[in-house]
Amino acid sequence: MNPQNVTVRKPKIQKNYTKHKLLFFIILTALLMLAVVFANQLCPYNPNAQIFEPLETPSAAHICGTDRYGRDMLSRVLIGLQTSVLSTLLLVAIITLFGTAAGVLCGYFGGKTDALIMRVSDVCLAFPGLVFALAIAALLNGGLRNAIIALAVVSWPKYARIARSQTLSLKNSDYVFAARLSGDTSVEIITRHILPNIFGPILVTAMLDIGTMMMELAGLSFLGLGAQPPTAELGNMMSSGRSMLQTYPWVIISPGIAIFLAVAVFNLLGDTVRDYLDPRNSGK
Amino acid sequence: MEYILEAENLTKVFKTQNKSYFTAVDSVSFKLEKGESLGIVGESGSGKSTIARMLLRLTDVSDGKIYLYGEDITNFSGKNLRKVYGAIQMIFQSAEGSFNPRKTLGYSICESLRNLGMAGGEAKKRAEYLLEECGLNGEFLKKYPHEVSGGQCQRAAIARALAAQPKILVCDEATSALDVTVQKQIMELLTDLKNKNNLSYIFICHNLALVQSFCDRVLVMSEGKIVEEGTPDEVIFSPKSSYTKILADAAIESSL
Repeated sequence: MNPQNVTVRKPKIQKNYTKHKLLFFIILTALLMLAVVFANQLCPYNPNAQIFEPLETPSAAHICGTDRYGRDMLSRVLIGLQTSVLSTLLLVAIITLFGTAAGVLCGYFGGKTDALIMRVSDVCLAFPGLVFALAIAALLNGGLRNAIIALAVVSWPKYARIARSQTLSLKNSDYVFAARLSGDTSVEIITRHILPNIFGPILVTAMLDIGTMMMELAGLSFLGLGAQPPTAELGNMMSSGRSMLQTYPWVIISPGIAIFLAVAVFNLLGDTVRDYLDPRNSGK
Repeated sequence: MEYILEAENLTKVFKTQNKSYFTAVDSVSFKLEKGESLGIVGESGSGKSTIARMLLRLTDVSDGKIYLYGEDITNFSGKNLRKVYGAIQMIFQSAEGSFNPRKTLGYSICESLRNLGMAGGEAKKRAEYLLEECGLNGEFLKKYPHEVSGGQCQRAAIARALAAQPKILVCDEATSALDVTVQKQIMELLTDLKNKNNLSYIFICHNLALVQSFCDRVLVMSEGKIVEEGTPDEVIFSPKSSYTKILADAAIESSL
């Protein structure tokens, strides 16, 4: 065959950019976290001081305008972002730790405890998540702390299931047998051999859950079952701006954009971490 | 004659999903003499590996008894079981699979030594010595299981098994995942160690030729039962049961 007639098909995506993407999103997340940590210093005004004209249009002095009580919106959005992000991270940490611990113990020891915990988790999974959380939050009388508890009760089974199934498969692997023959106790086997090897999938799930949990927590606040006024929280800020959407849109749009950006950044980071840890991507 | 390990009517019953029962090992009895290499051969699913796991109490025994130096270890747990692992150790079929992928070979070998109460530095020295005894140098302590070849990994696995200074080694298809030349080296190593450390072996295998060259006595298993017992030559050249005949014929055919 004439070599000039041969079409060489070039791959459309020539290189795997996962590493660069990961770095990029880590930087974005770091920036977001800096804004969250230093929110108090970044605030131009006291977020709770009702000292300005109510419902001022955005201007150089008030980039996001003011709300109906004459509070600076930018300051409130920054503090609200801090409240939202920190409580979301706390929530994800709680469900990850508790869910993983429950799952590993169930998978490793089995028996009646396993059956009991897994049936409880079935019950939790049987309800539609947010509706169940609403019911619990309402029962607990609202408030940010109770909203976190409600969402934690609804969300831990996912982690317990992942951890349990991974533990079940590792429990009968040769290296866990070998560790037992080396004289390891159950605790040593769990901490040295099982946990480090199930860490990957759980980390990915947790990263992907940050965005979702942030939405749900803001959702509960939006419905009045999360943070209570005057606490600045993105969900309840949107809720209070709801009636003024057509007349004073900045009151609802600025916290909306803040939620959108934060959720997008966390979701993209989670996706990239998943791609990065995917074994099919390694070795490139 | 001194028997160091005895199995008496060993039985393993698995519960299957639809509540029926499957007998993987059906009242198997045998005795292991001191310094002997006892082969167990049989097709896949005949219960060989389940016997190995029961002997080491990695799965529960459904019925029957296991005696180690005359002591009933069938229901041992916790600390007592640790003592048992000082006398009997196991080598797995998949060498790489028997090491935690996130830890170095050195960590896994030292783990056993540390559990015996050895301090870190001393354990490391001892691990190096064990590796050398198994034909690897000390550099392998820092390597991960996926970084070494199958044969090297199996040598490290043998070194780890020897860390507890056992008297009995159970080899569950220890060489069947290796190619023929490496297989030969590992067999030489096992023979060497046997003479040096006074080891007794339970050698589970499906390769009759290997069993013939290595074992003093062989049990033939089929469908969870022992169908024949004798020296390798007896079993291969004058098989009594029909199953052994099929097995021996297949072995002779495949070696031609």
